[in-house]
Amino acid sequence: MRVQQIVWNKRSGWTAAKKELGEASLVLYFGTREALNCGARYEALRGMFPAAHVMGCSTGGQINNNDVNDDEIVAAAISFDATRVKLCREDISDPSRSRDYGETIGRALSSDDLAGVFVLSDGLNVNGSELVAGISKIIGQNIPLTGGLAGDGANFKETLVGADCAPRARTIAGIGFYGSAIRVGHGSAGGWDLFGPRRQVTKSAGNVLFELDGEPALDLYERYLGPEESKGLPGSALLFPIQVYDLAAPDSAVVRTVLAIDRETRAMTFAGDVPQGWTAQLMRGNLDRLAAGAADAARQACSGVIGQGNDQSLSILVSCIGRRLLMGQRTIEEVEAAGAELSPDTYRLGFYSYGEISPHAKSGLCELHNQTMTVTTLAEVA
Amino acid sequence: MHKLLAQQIVKATDETGLVDLEKFSALVAAAYEDLDRDRRRTDRSISLMIEEADAVQGNLERTVVERTKELQAREVELQAQNMRFDAALSNMSQGLVMFDADARLVICNQRYLTMHGLEADEIKLGDMLRRLLDCRIAKGTFSGNPEHYIGSLRTMISAGMPSTEFVELDDGRTFAVVSQPMPGGGWVATHEDVTERRQAEIKIAHMARHDALTDLPNRVLLRERLGEALAHVERGQRLAVLYLDLDQFKNVNDTLGHPAGDELLRVVAGRLRGCVREADTICRVGGDEFFVVQTDIGDATDAERLARRLVEAVRVPFDLEGHRVMIDASIGIALAPTDGTDANELLKNADMALYGAKADGRGVYRFFEPNMDARMKERRALELALRMAFENGEFELYYQPMLNLEKGEVRCCEALLRWHHPERGMVSPVEFIPVAEEIGLIVPLGEWVIRQACADAAQWPDDICVAVNLSPTQLLSKGLLPAVLGALASSRLQADRLELEITEAVLMQNSELTIRVLHQLRSLGIRISMDDFGTGYSSLSYLRSFPFDKIKIDRCFIKGLGESSESDAIVQAVTGLADCLSMTTTAEGVETRQQLDLVRKLGCTDVQGFFYSPPVPLRELTKVLAKERGAKRRGIKTAAA
Repeated sequence: MRVQQIVWNKRSGWTAAKKELGEASLVLYFGTREALNCGARYEALRGMFPAAHVMGCSTGGQINNNDVNDDEIVAAAISFDATRVKLCREDISDPSRSRDYGETIGRALSSDDLAGVFVLSDGLNVNGSELVAGISKIIGQNIPLTGGLAGDGANFKETLVGADCAPRARTIAGIGFYGSAIRVGHGSAGGWDLFGPRRQVTKSAGNVLFELDGEPALDLYERYLGPEESKGLPGSALLFPIQVYDLAAPDSAVVRTVLAIDRETRAMTFAGDVPQGWTAQLMRGNLDRLAAGAADAARQACSGVIGQGNDQSLSILVSCIGRRLLMGQRTIEEVEAAGAELSPDTYRLGFYSYGEISPHAKSGLCELHNQTMTVTTLAEVA
Repeated sequence: MHKLLAQQIVKATDETGLVDLEKFSALVAAAYEDLDRDRRRTDRSISLMIEEADAVQGNLERTVVERTKELQAREVELQAQNMRFDAALSNMSQGLVMFDADARLVICNQRYLTMHGLEADEIKLGDMLRRLLDCRIAKGTFSGNPEHYIGSLRTMISAGMPSTEFVELDDGRTFAVVSQPMPGGGWVATHEDVTERRQAEIKIAHMARHDALTDLPNRVLLRERLGEALAHVERGQRLAVLYLDLDQFKNVNDTLGHPAGDELLRVVAGRLRGCVREADTICRVGGDEFFVVQTDIGDATDAERLARRLVEAVRVPFDLEGHRVMIDASIGIALAPTDGTDANELLKNADMALYGAKADGRGVYRFFEPNMDARMKERRALELALRMAFENGEFELYYQPMLNLEKGEVRCCEALLRWHHPERGMVSPVEFIPVAEEIGLIVPLGEWVIRQACADAAQWPDDICVAVNLSPTQLLSKGLLPAVLGALASSRLQADRLELEITEAVLMQNSELTIRVLHQLRSLGIRISMDDFGTGYSSLSYLRSFPFDKIKIDRCFIKGLGESSESDAIVQAVTGLADCLSMTTTAEGVETRQQLDLVRKLGCTDVQGFFYSPPVPLRELTKVLAKERGAKRRGIKTAAA
């Protein structure tokens, strides 16, 4: 396969595209909501790659090799030698039916030679866990399912997803890779540290957390954030994700991050389910360990996926807005750490999302993650 | 250079390569702010964490204190419960042992130890069941094979079923051991001393099959034994069923009372038991009736021998509270298979044979004969007729005059009972008197006779008496005196015109009481005669016991007069004796002139017999008397003179 990397910014517009422009069968793009809003960027891509499926979303930041920025659009045009792709799209009319949407996508992409699925979903109007569960149920646990939830910087207002159309809100896009040549590698790692006592989720409903140990969740967060940073809620709550797990199955531990808060009910909405009765523990981030986590994720994605000769491979890094918020200017370090583990031939692009989709590093079951660096590598073998 | 600084420089550099200082400063300042913020956040996190840790620790400590209190309270409660448990175990009336799945002792109470003669230090918890059994064997409180016992116990436990065993010890005690399996493979057993209960059960079982008074088998056991014996008959053996009835037993009961009667039965039972073999069965089936089942006999003579032994055994006099009593036994014998192979049939035939024996007299045994049925029916008919006769007034008194030899005139008439059966005609007293005695009719009949005799005699001339026979039953009946008094009163007959004749048999039974009654009668003025003198065993000694007024010499002596010198001598002796004792003598059965002269010569004072007059009905007698009185007045010599 061959990968071409193109970038858009306000100053220069779309940067160089190379010769084999039209041959690409798939174009992936990630960009700021402001830039994608009008749809012109999509039209431009469509013009450049008329034969390709064009899929992308708004973000909380873009990754372009070792660079992280907030005001660009990064895209990758891929031409496969022996791999077929298929794109499907679902519109979200009712977020409570997220599982149904997932199953529909699963059915649309299902095939005997399906080798992998990559999903981009609206980040604010979907239940990510349910969506992933729906897709997994149909395609099974043996097919790698990766992807992420679209972002909106630190605004949490509106997220856009496009699938062969101008990106828009309340949309889910999924792409399937078919054939025996494609290899899809994946990895995910956090790097956050657990701290403080274990608490019990005493009251929750789906992904809305009301109480921990009988105390309103928002009270706990405001205490830890302090008066200054509390003003920045819900965004500032990203600094303290929580790890939740079922006592009966400790390996099921997932990290959850805040999407929204309600100062009236003192409830907090997370990007994935926080089941009542599960155990929860606060987490804090440390730059070095987060970077090490990113490197770990990249290492996992690499194993078994080696490009042949002149062939190029693509690595899609979907990391979490929470990590960005914590690391600030030094976010670049995690990207560099991940890059160091990946092959020098691989083009790295990605985005900071409101939720990451990847198989769990320990259990292998595909799940929605938060505060996690996930890496998906695509390569073809002869 | 610090990586971040290098990045910031790059970021602040524009396309021309110039560093935008403002931008650069902003980036650097932002980096410092980030650091400050990070530091504050970290600091805050640590403080909060410490607080929370303290709170958690406090909670934990409080919880530990509470839990400890709870545990201590639970401990106290457990102690109390253990004490209650111990108290219950120690005081329960049963011995209790509990074993675990490996047959090791888990619980054992004191009662168990005591029951089995074990000391507290011989047994300890954890001991194997086998060891326990060995100790008990040594103490004599376990019998049987311990391995078998353990084996069957295990089978029962694995089946999950409770079991009850009875253990019989050498010292006579019986224990009931109830073993109950427990979940988990162990079991609990309670041991109870049920010796008394067991003995009571045995006793009840015995009482159900044995007669309470004599401890002989009863009807129930008789049936069982007979049934078993008859099974052998099917294979060719022979057996005899003897139905034994005590004659005159009712008299003993009536005269001496029930305690004496019971004692009599006990002694009889003992004697009868002594006559039979081990293999035979002797039963009391009520009242004075006994059955003997004689098994595996050769032929009828074996049964006959036994019957004779039984009769003789009963005949030996009894001493009941100082009273000398003699009774007889009547026996009916039925043989199997000759007279039947069915129990009911044999018993019925033995009954008929007994009936026949009784009819034939006392102390008799009879074999069943096929026509006994008919004879029994006949006898039953007679009994019925007899009862009816009494009600229908078929009885009549005949009178036989007794002639006084000195005066040549009738001084006394003997009343004799006659029965006119509507179909059979005249029934001899020999036939119906014994039956009347058997069926208990003799007393009312006797009373009627006395009343009637007194009434009739009242019609006669003043100097003529009436003599009435009294049977032993009558004499000893409580109603005799009132009956006699009543008869005298209603007939207005003077007491000295009434004579009562009694035989030796009367005196044989209960002489003391008899004598007392006789005195009572005599004190009224009534005269007492000894009838059939010389036919009993102790006639002379009876003469000494009571002041009789008259002796009636039995006809057998009169018959021999003139033919043998012995008879003459005896009669002479008797008359002489009587004379000395101021008694008159009547010769019975005088049928010829010669006898009349002879008795007169030998000193008898009166005669009675066909020669002078047979027994005649009242109207006939009146004629006879009238004729005699008339002749006398006219001075004609009569046959008497």
